[in-house]
Amino acid sequence: MNGGVIRILILKDWRLHRVQVLLSLAAGGVALALLQLRDEAAFLIGSVWLFVSLIVLGSMLPVSNVINERKKQSLAFIMSIPVSAVQYAVSKIISTVGMFLVPWAVSALAATILALSRRDIPNGIIPFILILFGLPLVGFCVVAGAALITDSEGWTIAATIVCNSSYGLIYYFLVRNPAINGTFKSPVPVWSAAVLTILAGEVLAAGLILGITFYLQSRKREFV
Amino acid sequence: MSDLAIELAGVGKKYPYFALDNIHLEVPQGQIMGLIGPNGAGKSTTIRIVMGLVQQDHGEVRVLGRSMPAEQIAAKWDIGFASEDMRLYEGMTLAWHMNFIRSIYAKWDAPYAQLLLKRFGLRAEQKIKGLSHGQRVKATLLLVLARRPRLLVLDEPTTGLDPVARHEILRELTAVMTDEGRSILFSSHNTQDVEQISDQITFIDRGRIIDSMDKEAYLDRWRRLRLEVPFGIALPALPGVIGIRQNGRLAVATANAFAPDMANAYESSGARVQAIETMTLEEIFVANVERSREEVEA
Repeated sequence: MNGGVIRILILKDWRLHRVQVLLSLAAGGVALALLQLRDEAAFLIGSVWLFVSLIVLGSMLPVSNVINERKKQSLAFIMSIPVSAVQYAVSKIISTVGMFLVPWAVSALAATILALSRRDIPNGIIPFILILFGLPLVGFCVVAGAALITDSEGWTIAATIVCNSSYGLIYYFLVRNPAINGTFKSPVPVWSAAVLTILAGEVLAAGLILGITFYLQSRKREFV
Repeated sequence: MSDLAIELAGVGKKYPYFALDNIHLEVPQGQIMGLIGPNGAGKSTTIRIVMGLVQQDHGEVRVLGRSMPAEQIAAKWDIGFASEDMRLYEGMTLAWHMNFIRSIYAKWDAPYAQLLLKRFGLRAEQKIKGLSHGQRVKATLLLVLARRPRLLVLDEPTTGLDPVARHEILRELTAVMTDEGRSILFSSHNTQDVEQISDQITFIDRGRIIDSMDKEAYLDRWRRLRLEVPFGIALPALPGVIGIRQNGRLAVATANAFAPDMANAYESSGARVQAIETMTLEEIFVANVERSREEVEA
């Protein structure tokens, strides 16, 4: 599978976008620091900031890592090396998803640990936190898929707008769902069928979108 | 093993407003093939098919004995490809790009890369966005040449370059060919460049190859005959003469298969041959394209 070249391409993408990833981690760190403060306003700002930093990263990464490579005409340079269109797609999916997953996982883990460590926050909120973290993950997969499949900045921006405008709506329905909000104040996390279904749905949606993206990308007959 | 570096047989590719039609092209190993055509002729599409970047609708493509695009990975280890619209990563330095390519190609020739840096007047630590167009082209070629590829595929490498930069690049390409195992396919609409370094030439227009052969033999076949035609004399239609333009008593016949007895034939008809002139590749190119278009439209 020419793994050596794919690995080099992934490392190249990481090197090119390390500032974005580090900035996102730094923004997440600041948000978590705000969450540590026992102040309602700081908690609210921190929690919003934490998600915004992931949403911004999830919107920007596909554009800078996929669209700009084509737009700035560097794709021909990459395709001149011994790599096929399928392998290029594999490297792009792995690098883009990986660069998002690191800050995403760090933020999700830190938020969960924070909820567990603070006595004033009931642990029953943890399943809801994880569901919320699943939203930017799915949104990122939609935007990345749009970027890879269409190679179009316009379609990628359209996908970003649709995703970003749906987060608030989904949040609205989640917090009003008794199957979800009924366990918020529980002293222990409650992994109800509703919670597990939503979490499984998010994971499945992310996997399905990436799978479809890979399938369609591998069938392209023209690359540059 | 085939002695052809590139072999295209019956290759076609259809787009909504353009079609590459039944392309047959052979580039022997150790030769420089210049692919000449006007803008939109199909040069870049042909080259992208050769590189496996675009898949042909029909026909066979073999590059260094590998079937394209199926075996493009194996083929690309020995191909250096650069195109006029290829860009490096603007925010990174040339040194970063050199390290990147070196990490892929075991054959990377570091001393040669350093030599090219000096010859091209480039600084490795400079970011790509700070380079001029000519320097960017040279940087791209450095990255291609230092891989020591068996085949160079270059799409309009000299477009937009000043005469000095063009000369430097053409000189380097010629130097590459001191190794007889190497081959080059390069496209251009600058016939001077092609005439300067090519062994073989291929003319392409509107998606069709209209001529392909050895450059010297080709140039030798074409002549322009300046004739004085007295009133009442009709010039004979000679085989090998593709066009006659007459203005009063003066006529110019263009031959694509010149033979010395053509002059005798015109003299016998009552015309006087004032001069027999060789033609530049550009003149031949224009005449060939015009004839091809007239044939298609007829």
